[in-house]
Amino acid sequence: MAEKHNHDHAPMVEEISDFEVLEIAVRELCIEKGLFTIDDHRQFTEYAHNIGPLPAARLVAKAWLDPEFKKLALEDGVKASLEVGINWITSPPTDFGTPSDYCDLRILEDTATTKHVVVCTLCSCYPRPILGHSPEWYRTPNYRRRIVRWPREVLSEFGVILPEGVDVRVEDSNQKCRFMVMPMRPEGTEGWSEDQLTEIVTRDCMLGVALPHPDRKHNAKRPIHKAINPVHGH
Amino acid sequence: MSRSHHADKATGVGDPQCFKGEAGPAKFKAGDRVRVKDLPDIFYTRTMQYCRNVVCEVVIATHESPAAEDEAWDNCDNPEWFYIVRFKQQDLWPEYPDAYSNDSLQTELSERWLELV
Repeated sequence: MAEKHNHDHAPMVEEISDFEVLEIAVRELCIEKGLFTIDDHRQFTEYAHNIGPLPAARLVAKAWLDPEFKKLALEDGVKASLEVGINWITSPPTDFGTPSDYCDLRILEDTATTKHVVVCTLCSCYPRPILGHSPEWYRTPNYRRRIVRWPREVLSEFGVILPEGVDVRVEDSNQKCRFMVMPMRPEGTEGWSEDQLTEIVTRDCMLGVALPHPDRKHNAKRPIHKAINPVHGH
Repeated sequence: MSRSHHADKATGVGDPQCFKGEAGPAKFKAGDRVRVKDLPDIFYTRTMQYCRNVVCEVVIATHESPAAEDEAWDNCDNPEWFYIVRFKQQDLWPEYPDAYSNDSLQTELSERWLELV
Protein backbone atom coordinates (compact mmCIF):
# COMPACT_ATOMS: atom_id res chain seq x y z
CA MET A 1 0.00 0.00 0.00
CA ALA A 2 1.28 3.40 -0.92
CA GLU A 3 2.63 5.49 1.89
CA LYS A 4 0.35 8.34 2.89
CA HIS A 5 1.78 11.55 1.54
CA ASN A 6 2.26 14.38 3.99
CA HIS A 7 0.55 17.52 2.67
CA ASP A 8 1.49 19.81 5.53
CA HIS A 9 4.13 21.64 3.52
CA ALA A 10 3.26 24.34 1.00
CA PRO A 11 3.10 22.98 -2.55
CA MET A 12 6.20 23.70 -4.60
CA VAL A 13 5.36 24.64 -8.18
CA GLU A 14 8.15 24.69 -10.70
CA GLU A 15 6.66 26.09 -13.85
CA ILE A 16 8.56 26.61 -17.04
CA SER A 17 7.12 28.21 -20.15
CA ASP A 18 7.43 26.99 -23.73
CA PHE A 19 9.69 29.95 -24.46
CA GLU A 20 12.05 29.03 -21.65
CA VAL A 21 12.23 25.46 -22.97
CA LEU A 22 12.99 26.87 -26.42
CA GLU A 23 15.69 29.17 -25.05
CA ILE A 24 17.38 26.30 -23.24
CA ALA A 25 17.20 24.08 -26.33
CA VAL A 26 18.72 26.72 -28.62
CA ARG A 27 21.37 27.68 -26.07
CA GLU A 28 22.45 24.07 -25.54
CA LEU A 29 22.56 23.46 -29.29
CA CYS A 30 24.77 26.55 -29.76
CA ILE A 31 27.12 25.32 -27.05
CA GLU A 32 27.21 21.79 -28.50
CA LYS A 33 27.98 23.16 -31.96
CA GLY A 34 30.69 25.39 -30.58
CA LEU A 35 29.16 28.77 -31.51
CA PHE A 36 29.94 29.91 -27.98
CA THR A 37 30.94 28.29 -24.73
CA ILE A 38 29.03 28.02 -21.47
CA ASP A 39 31.38 30.59 -19.99
CA ASP A 40 30.77 32.97 -22.93
CA HIS A 41 27.05 32.67 -22.26
CA ARG A 42 27.47 33.40 -18.58
CA GLN A 43 29.63 36.40 -19.45
CA PHE A 44 27.06 37.77 -21.96
CA THR A 45 24.30 37.35 -19.41
CA GLU A 46 26.22 39.02 -16.62
CA TYR A 47 27.18 41.87 -18.95
CA ALA A 48 23.60 42.38 -20.08
CA HIS A 49 22.28 42.36 -16.53
CA ASN A 50 24.79 44.98 -15.43
CA ILE A 51 23.61 47.61 -17.92
CA GLY A 52 21.35 50.19 -16.31
CA PRO A 53 19.48 53.35 -17.35
CA LEU A 54 22.02 55.83 -15.96
CA PRO A 55 23.76 56.63 -19.30
CA ALA A 56 20.39 57.45 -20.85
CA ALA A 57 19.52 59.70 -17.89
CA ARG A 58 22.76 61.58 -18.41
CA LEU A 59 22.07 61.87 -22.12
CA VAL A 60 18.74 63.56 -21.37
CA ALA A 61 20.32 65.87 -18.78
CA LYS A 62 23.04 66.86 -21.26
CA ALA A 63 20.43 67.58 -23.91
CA TRP A 64 18.46 69.78 -21.48
CA LEU A 65 21.57 71.85 -20.86
CA ASP A 66 23.15 71.94 -24.32
CA PRO A 67 20.97 72.79 -27.36
CA GLU A 68 23.67 71.61 -29.76
CA PHE A 69 23.84 68.22 -28.08
CA LYS A 70 20.05 68.03 -28.05
CA LYS A 71 20.05 68.56 -31.80
CA LEU A 72 22.54 65.72 -32.24
CA ALA A 73 20.55 63.45 -29.91
CA LEU A 74 17.38 63.94 -31.93
CA GLU A 75 19.16 63.49 -35.26
CA ASP A 76 21.45 60.58 -34.40
CA GLY A 77 20.81 58.78 -31.13
CA VAL A 78 23.60 56.27 -31.72
CA LYS A 79 26.20 59.02 -32.17
CA ALA A 80 24.88 60.99 -29.18
CA SER A 81 25.12 57.84 -27.02
CA LEU A 82 28.91 57.90 -27.47
CA GLU A 83 28.99 61.10 -25.39
CA VAL A 84 27.65 59.16 -22.41
CA GLY A 85 29.93 56.18 -22.92
CA ILE A 86 27.60 53.89 -24.84
CA ASN A 87 28.84 52.51 -28.12
CA TRP A 88 25.91 50.74 -29.74
CA ILE A 89 28.02 49.30 -32.53
CA THR A 90 31.17 47.84 -31.02
CA SER A 91 30.58 47.43 -27.32
CA PRO A 92 31.86 44.26 -25.76
CA PRO A 93 31.25 41.42 -25.38
CA THR A 94 29.64 40.69 -28.75
CA ASP A 95 31.01 43.55 -30.88
CA PHE A 96 27.77 43.74 -32.81
CA GLY A 97 25.14 45.57 -30.87
CA THR A 98 25.10 45.59 -27.12
CA PRO A 99 24.11 42.88 -26.26
CA SER A 100 23.10 41.53 -29.66
CA ASP A 101 20.52 44.25 -30.14
CA TYR A 102 19.79 46.35 -33.21
CA CYS A 103 21.58 49.67 -33.38
CA ASP A 104 19.18 52.38 -34.53
CA LEU A 105 18.26 54.52 -31.52
CA ARG A 106 15.58 57.16 -32.05
CA ILE A 107 14.95 59.69 -29.30
CA LEU A 108 11.41 61.03 -29.03
CA GLU A 109 11.20 64.59 -27.76
CA ASP A 110 8.23 65.47 -25.56
CA THR A 111 6.91 68.99 -26.03
CA ALA A 112 4.32 71.16 -24.30
CA THR A 113 1.72 69.61 -26.62
CA THR A 114 2.96 66.05 -27.26
CA LYS A 115 3.67 63.24 -24.77
CA HIS A 116 5.35 60.08 -26.04
CA VAL A 117 5.10 56.61 -24.58
CA VAL A 118 6.95 53.51 -25.79
CA VAL A 119 5.73 49.93 -26.14
CA CYS A 120 6.52 46.84 -28.14
CA THR A 121 3.17 45.16 -28.81
CA LEU A 122 4.88 42.21 -30.48
CA CYS A 123 7.03 41.29 -27.50
CA SER A 124 9.85 43.24 -25.87
CA CYS A 125 11.91 45.52 -28.22
CA TYR A 126 13.74 47.86 -25.87
CA PRO A 127 16.86 50.08 -26.10
CA ARG A 128 18.83 47.73 -23.86
CA PRO A 129 22.32 49.07 -24.58
CA ILE A 130 21.37 52.39 -23.01
CA LEU A 131 18.48 51.52 -20.67
CA GLY A 132 19.43 48.02 -19.51
CA HIS A 133 16.86 45.26 -19.18
CA SER A 134 13.21 46.17 -19.55
CA PRO A 135 10.99 46.11 -16.47
CA GLU A 136 8.75 43.07 -16.12
CA TRP A 137 5.53 45.06 -16.69
CA TYR A 138 6.85 46.34 -20.05
CA ARG A 139 6.80 42.80 -21.39
CA THR A 140 3.37 41.82 -20.06
CA PRO A 141 0.51 41.30 -22.54
CA ASN A 142 -1.59 43.54 -20.28
CA TYR A 143 0.58 46.63 -20.84
CA ARG A 144 1.29 45.82 -24.48
CA ARG A 145 -2.28 45.39 -25.58
CA ARG A 146 -3.78 48.21 -23.51
CA ILE A 147 -1.28 51.06 -23.95
CA VAL A 148 -1.88 51.25 -27.71
CA ARG A 149 -5.64 51.39 -27.43
CA TRP A 150 -6.27 53.15 -24.11
CA PRO A 151 -3.02 55.10 -23.59
CA ARG A 152 -4.55 57.79 -21.36
CA GLU A 153 -6.17 55.27 -19.05
CA VAL A 154 -2.96 53.24 -18.74
CA LEU A 155 -0.86 56.37 -18.18
CA SER A 156 -3.22 57.41 -15.40
CA GLU A 157 -2.63 54.03 -13.77
CA PHE A 158 1.05 55.01 -13.67
CA GLY A 159 0.05 58.31 -12.06
CA VAL A 160 0.39 60.43 -15.18
CA ILE A 161 -2.76 62.42 -15.82
CA LEU A 162 -2.22 64.65 -18.80
CA PRO A 163 -3.64 68.17 -18.90
CA GLU A 164 -5.91 69.29 -21.72
CA GLY A 165 -4.05 70.30 -24.82
CA VAL A 166 -1.43 67.56 -24.50
CA ASP A 167 -1.71 64.90 -27.19
CA VAL A 168 -0.50 61.35 -26.58
CA ARG A 169 1.74 59.70 -29.15
CA VAL A 170 2.29 55.97 -28.68
CA GLU A 171 5.42 54.53 -30.28
CA ASP A 172 4.98 50.84 -31.08
CA SER A 173 8.56 49.63 -31.44
CA ASN A 174 8.28 46.63 -33.77
CA GLN A 175 11.30 46.50 -36.10
CA LYS A 176 14.95 47.51 -35.84
CA CYS A 177 14.58 51.02 -34.41
CA ARG A 178 14.81 51.39 -30.65
CA PHE A 179 13.09 54.26 -28.88
CA MET A 180 13.47 56.28 -25.71
CA VAL A 181 11.63 59.40 -24.61
CA MET A 182 13.29 62.72 -23.87
CA PRO A 183 10.88 64.19 -21.33
CA MET A 184 10.48 67.94 -20.77
CA ARG A 185 12.70 69.49 -18.13
CA PRO A 186 10.46 70.12 -15.13
CA GLU A 187 10.02 73.47 -13.40
CA GLY A 188 11.99 73.88 -10.19
CA THR A 189 15.28 72.72 -11.72
CA GLU A 190 16.58 76.12 -12.80
CA GLY A 191 20.34 76.40 -12.38
CA TRP A 192 20.79 72.66 -11.74
CA SER A 193 23.97 70.91 -12.82
CA GLU A 194 24.15 67.95 -15.20
CA ASP A 195 24.66 65.59 -12.26
CA GLN A 196 21.62 66.95 -10.43
CA LEU A 197 19.43 66.71 -13.53
CA THR A 198 20.62 63.16 -14.22
CA GLU A 199 19.27 62.11 -10.81
CA ILE A 200 15.65 62.96 -11.67
CA VAL A 201 15.52 61.29 -15.11
CA THR A 202 14.36 57.83 -14.13
CA ARG A 203 13.90 54.81 -16.34
CA ASP A 204 10.12 55.20 -16.37
CA CYS A 205 10.48 58.83 -17.50
CA MET A 206 12.41 57.58 -20.53
CA LEU A 207 9.76 54.99 -21.36
CA GLY A 208 7.17 57.74 -21.17
CA VAL A 209 5.06 56.38 -18.29
CA ALA A 210 6.33 58.95 -15.77
CA LEU A 211 7.28 62.62 -15.72
CA PRO A 212 10.47 63.90 -14.10
CA HIS A 213 9.96 65.82 -10.87
CA PRO A 214 12.60 67.75 -8.91
CA ASP A 215 11.78 65.78 -5.75
CA ARG A 216 11.91 62.30 -7.27
CA LYS A 217 15.42 61.00 -7.68
CA HIS A 218 16.34 57.54 -8.87
CA ASN A 219 18.86 57.24 -6.05
CA ALA A 220 16.55 58.51 -3.29
CA LYS A 221 16.47 56.60 -0.02
CA ARG A 222 13.53 54.19 0.07
CA PRO A 223 11.39 54.24 3.23
CA ILE A 224 11.95 51.29 5.56
CA HIS A 225 8.80 49.83 7.07
CA LYS A 226 9.37 47.76 10.17
CA ALA A 227 7.73 44.36 10.30
CA ILE A 228 4.44 44.28 12.21
CA ASN A 229 5.15 40.80 13.56
CA PRO A 230 8.93 40.55 13.58
CA VAL A 231 10.53 37.14 13.80
CA HIS A 232 11.79 36.63 17.37
CA GLY A 233 15.33 37.83 17.79
CA HIS A 234 15.48 39.66 14.47
CA MET B 1 27.82 30.18 -46.54
CA SER B 2 28.71 30.36 -42.88
CA ARG B 3 25.80 30.03 -40.46
CA SER B 4 26.99 33.19 -38.73
CA HIS B 5 27.22 35.32 -41.91
CA HIS B 6 24.66 37.77 -40.55
CA ALA B 7 26.63 38.41 -37.37
CA ASP B 8 29.88 38.59 -39.36
CA LYS B 9 28.36 41.26 -41.61
CA ALA B 10 27.11 43.33 -38.67
CA THR B 11 30.25 43.13 -36.54
CA GLY B 12 31.85 46.53 -36.18
CA VAL B 13 29.16 48.12 -38.39
CA GLY B 14 25.88 47.47 -36.67
CA ASP B 15 22.56 46.09 -37.80
CA PRO B 16 20.67 47.66 -39.68
CA GLN B 17 23.68 49.85 -40.66
CA CYS B 18 25.25 46.85 -42.44
CA PHE B 19 22.50 46.91 -45.09
CA LYS B 20 22.96 50.58 -45.95
CA GLY B 21 22.85 51.28 -49.67
CA GLU B 22 21.42 47.88 -50.62
CA ALA B 23 17.77 48.81 -51.15
CA GLY B 24 18.00 51.46 -53.88
CA PRO B 25 15.97 54.65 -53.71
CA ALA B 26 13.20 54.91 -51.13
CA LYS B 27 9.73 54.76 -52.68
CA PHE B 28 8.02 56.98 -50.10
CA LYS B 29 8.92 60.28 -48.48
CA ALA B 30 7.89 62.15 -45.35
CA GLY B 31 4.30 63.38 -45.60
CA ASP B 32 3.11 60.70 -48.05
CA ARG B 33 -0.32 59.25 -47.30
CA VAL B 34 -0.12 55.48 -47.45
CA ARG B 35 -2.30 52.49 -46.67
CA VAL B 36 -1.00 49.42 -44.84
CA LYS B 37 -1.58 46.37 -47.02
CA ASP B 38 -3.14 43.26 -45.57
CA LEU B 39 -0.70 40.73 -47.00
CA PRO B 40 -0.83 37.04 -46.10
CA ASP B 41 1.60 36.08 -43.35
CA ILE B 42 1.36 32.38 -42.82
CA PHE B 43 4.75 31.97 -41.16
CA TYR B 44 6.13 35.18 -39.72
CA THR B 45 5.44 38.90 -39.75
CA ARG B 46 6.04 42.02 -37.71
CA THR B 47 3.10 43.96 -39.14
CA MET B 48 0.44 44.14 -36.47
CA GLN B 49 -3.13 43.17 -37.31
CA TYR B 50 -4.49 46.36 -35.79
CA CYS B 51 -2.90 48.56 -38.47
CA ARG B 52 -3.82 46.49 -41.55
CA ASN B 53 -5.86 48.38 -44.16
CA VAL B 54 -5.53 51.64 -42.21
CA VAL B 55 -4.28 54.85 -43.84
CA CYS B 56 -1.36 56.65 -42.22
CA GLU B 57 1.32 59.21 -42.91
CA VAL B 58 4.99 58.54 -43.57
CA VAL B 59 7.12 60.34 -40.94
CA ILE B 60 10.61 59.34 -42.04
CA ALA B 61 12.49 56.67 -43.97
CA THR B 62 14.63 55.14 -41.23
CA HIS B 63 16.95 52.46 -42.61
CA GLU B 64 17.40 49.62 -45.08
CA SER B 65 17.14 46.01 -44.02
CA PRO B 66 15.74 42.71 -45.19
CA ALA B 67 12.05 42.64 -44.28
CA ALA B 68 11.36 40.75 -41.07
CA GLU B 69 9.33 38.23 -43.09
CA ASP B 70 12.47 37.36 -45.09
CA GLU B 71 15.07 37.75 -42.39
CA ALA B 72 13.22 35.27 -40.19
CA TRP B 73 14.29 32.65 -42.76
CA ASP B 74 17.82 33.96 -43.13
CA ASN B 75 16.97 35.52 -46.49
CA CYS B 76 18.98 38.75 -46.81
CA ASP B 77 18.84 38.95 -50.63
CA ASN B 78 16.36 41.81 -51.00
CA PRO B 79 16.78 44.56 -48.40
CA GLU B 80 14.11 47.25 -48.50
CA TRP B 81 13.41 50.62 -46.92
CA PHE B 82 11.70 50.90 -43.57
CA TYR B 83 9.50 53.82 -42.57
CA ILE B 84 8.16 55.23 -39.34
CA VAL B 85 4.49 55.86 -40.03
CA ARG B 86 1.94 57.78 -37.98
CA PHE B 87 -1.70 56.85 -37.48
CA LYS B 88 -4.48 58.90 -35.94
CA GLN B 89 -5.68 56.88 -32.99
CA GLN B 90 -9.26 57.44 -34.13
CA ASP B 91 -8.46 55.67 -37.41
CA LEU B 92 -7.23 52.60 -35.53
CA TRP B 93 -9.82 52.25 -32.78
CA PRO B 94 -13.48 52.93 -33.49
CA GLU B 95 -14.30 53.91 -29.90
CA TYR B 96 -11.41 56.37 -29.45
CA PRO B 97 -12.95 59.52 -27.95
CA ASP B 98 -13.45 62.69 -30.01
CA ALA B 99 -12.01 64.70 -27.12
CA TYR B 100 -8.60 63.23 -27.95
CA SER B 101 -8.83 63.26 -31.73
CA ASN B 102 -5.22 64.50 -32.03
CA ASP B 103 -3.76 61.45 -30.27
CA SER B 104 -1.54 59.38 -32.55
CA LEU B 105 0.39 56.15 -32.79
CA GLN B 106 3.63 55.53 -34.64
CA THR B 107 5.16 52.28 -35.74
CA GLU B 108 7.65 51.05 -38.30
CA LEU B 109 6.85 49.11 -41.47
CA SER B 110 8.84 47.94 -44.45
CA GLU B 111 8.15 49.16 -47.97
CA ARG B 112 6.30 46.04 -49.16
CA TRP B 113 3.55 46.72 -46.65
CA LEU B 114 2.74 50.23 -47.84
CA GLU B 115 0.89 51.63 -50.87
CA LEU B 116 0.14 55.24 -51.79
CA VAL B 117 -3.50 56.29 -51.44
